[in-house]
Amino acid sequence: MNIQQAVKMALKSITGNKGRSILTMLGIIIGIASVMTIVSVINGSNQQTLKQMEAMGTNRVNVSASRYDGKNVFDDLYTYCNGLGSDLVLGVTPNSQFSATVVYGAKNSASMEKNQNYGPASGGDSSADSTATQDMPPTLYFGSDQYAACNNFKIAKGRDITQTDIKRYAQVCVLGARAAKIFFNYADPVGQVMQVNGLPITVVGVYAEKDPDSQWSMDNIIVYPYTASRYLAAGTQMTEFTVKASSADATTEVISRVTGYLGGLISNQNGYFSVYSDNENQQSMNQYATQMSLILGGIAAISLLVGGIGIMNIMLVTVTERTREIGIRRAIGAERRSIVTQFLIEAAMLCGIGGLIGILVGTVGSLIAGRALLKMTVWPSLSITICAFLLSVVLGILFGIYPAAKASKLQPVEALRAE
Amino acid sequence: MLITLKDVYKIYSEGLESEVRALDGVSLTIERGEFVAVVGQSGSGKSTMMNVLGCLDIPTHGDYLLDGVDVKELTDRELSHIRNKQIGFIFQQYNLIQSLNVVENVELPLIYQGIGAEKRRELAMAALERVGLLGRERHKPTEMSGGQQQRVAIARAIATHPPIIMADEPTGALDSHTGHDVLRFLQELNRDGSTIILITHDNGIAATARRCVRLADGKIVEDAPQEVDWL
Repeated sequence: MNIQQAVKMALKSITGNKGRSILTMLGIIIGIASVMTIVSVINGSNQQTLKQMEAMGTNRVNVSASRYDGKNVFDDLYTYCNGLGSDLVLGVTPNSQFSATVVYGAKNSASMEKNQNYGPASGGDSSADSTATQDMPPTLYFGSDQYAACNNFKIAKGRDITQTDIKRYAQVCVLGARAAKIFFNYADPVGQVMQVNGLPITVVGVYAEKDPDSQWSMDNIIVYPYTASRYLAAGTQMTEFTVKASSADATTEVISRVTGYLGGLISNQNGYFSVYSDNENQQSMNQYATQMSLILGGIAAISLLVGGIGIMNIMLVTVTERTREIGIRRAIGAERRSIVTQFLIEAAMLCGIGGLIGILVGTVGSLIAGRALLKMTVWPSLSITICAFLLSVVLGILFGIYPAAKASKLQPVEALRAE
Repeated sequence: MLITLKDVYKIYSEGLESEVRALDGVSLTIERGEFVAVVGQSGSGKSTMMNVLGCLDIPTHGDYLLDGVDVKELTDRELSHIRNKQIGFIFQQYNLIQSLNVVENVELPLIYQGIGAEKRRELAMAALERVGLLGRERHKPTEMSGGQQQRVAIARAIATHPPIIMADEPTGALDSHTGHDVLRFLQELNRDGSTIILITHDNGIAATARRCVRLADGKIVEDAPQEVDWL
């Protein structure tokens, strides 16, 4: 007996008792569908996180440094870091937020505060977001001429903040793409003058949009030269800085160098400082995601196990029911091996068909769950789909072994006697 | 010699108080081309005889040589091959597989021989033609009368052209008319060269064979050629 005949035979037996076949498959269907959905959603969420991290930039070293005497350490840090060379450091900037009222024409950031409930655009449909009632006030930053390098921004229009701007306390700013859209809609902001706390500030450039979908708030920023804090936010001490290392390996080196340097500037008596890498954050987030997928995957695996036991149960019943058939087959010349093959293939096919249905349900489940939880379209990857199918077939074979062995061990004489 | 039984015993629960000697020292030889009826009351051991002769069961003691081969020495797999190629079984209850249609039932022993689909269909159709069931090959066994089902079973038994046909009460579930047809067909097969072993409790049916072996309490009490009641 060859495989093709065995497959035909199994198909006949499965379709011959549709109701029971479907009930038997149910366990596998649910198991496979939940495994697919869980893995897909976790993958989707990981991708989303990764995308956010990429948008933010990797290999960032966050420095927090403050002196009790209020002396600003940034100028020293800037000089030191740029002295390290571009094979270690790509840039250094303050990363300090401040609040101010930004006005351009009829647009006033103060009046946007009321609409803070607004969340990310649903369905990624950004064209509907341009009405004033949905505007969020921009986040205002003080940055160096290397702010863009440190935060993965690229200039789309005009120019970036320069060292000259910083030296001259220039009244200029660069807008994030979304901030530009909020204040200027589709007009060109470069050269326009905005009022910040009543002071005229000229827009010199606009950054390219980083992420049109989910992380729109990353683009809703306005960056001012940090020396402008003298008149925009008098008395604030800049304590948060970002150093952009050139690579993951360089990050470690930069951390130790910067730590050493700041240790010379700041002691326990006159201030505090800390230096840590964003990469560690990202690693721990990845670890967390892996743990989550292991836990959820484990739960799904248990449901698959239960499904597999269900298959074994029904196959055992089938063997008992078909004892006489087995006897007939043995009498007319079926080897034990043929009987084993027949029942194994039947179990494998039962599970395989269940797996295929499970994949369909799981795909729909992934789409729905992705939409509901991540607000993105999550298609199960090809590798997950293939794995899910193979898993179901393997389960069928695994749980089919015992019933098949039982069937083949029946003595022909006794099997023929069965009713 | 095709079949040789030498002092064969089939004993259940041997050594216990409930010991049953289904075959109690049976010796018998059957030559190629014979038509032998094994007759006996129920409990005489004739079904056990059929199981042993059909390689469905192994004797407890004694030797069974089939075509010179000692059956005791064979593996389960080799026994399967003998049942598949050397013997065609016809049972009282037809023993067709209900989920398969007529032609699929007839093809079954050919499948286990590993014969390709085309050749298989050809052989099965030839067997069905022989029993006069051409045109009914797509029917399910349940859609047919008892006589027709038994003819399907006969077609299955002869599809592989085995040298030996074993019929266990082949007319037991049929009315006398269709039973008559079945017996006549067995005689026809015998005339064409098949060795037929017919197991029955009915002396009238046994009369269709050329030789009658009578069993009682697991022993052969009579073994003689007889005047054939040609049908």
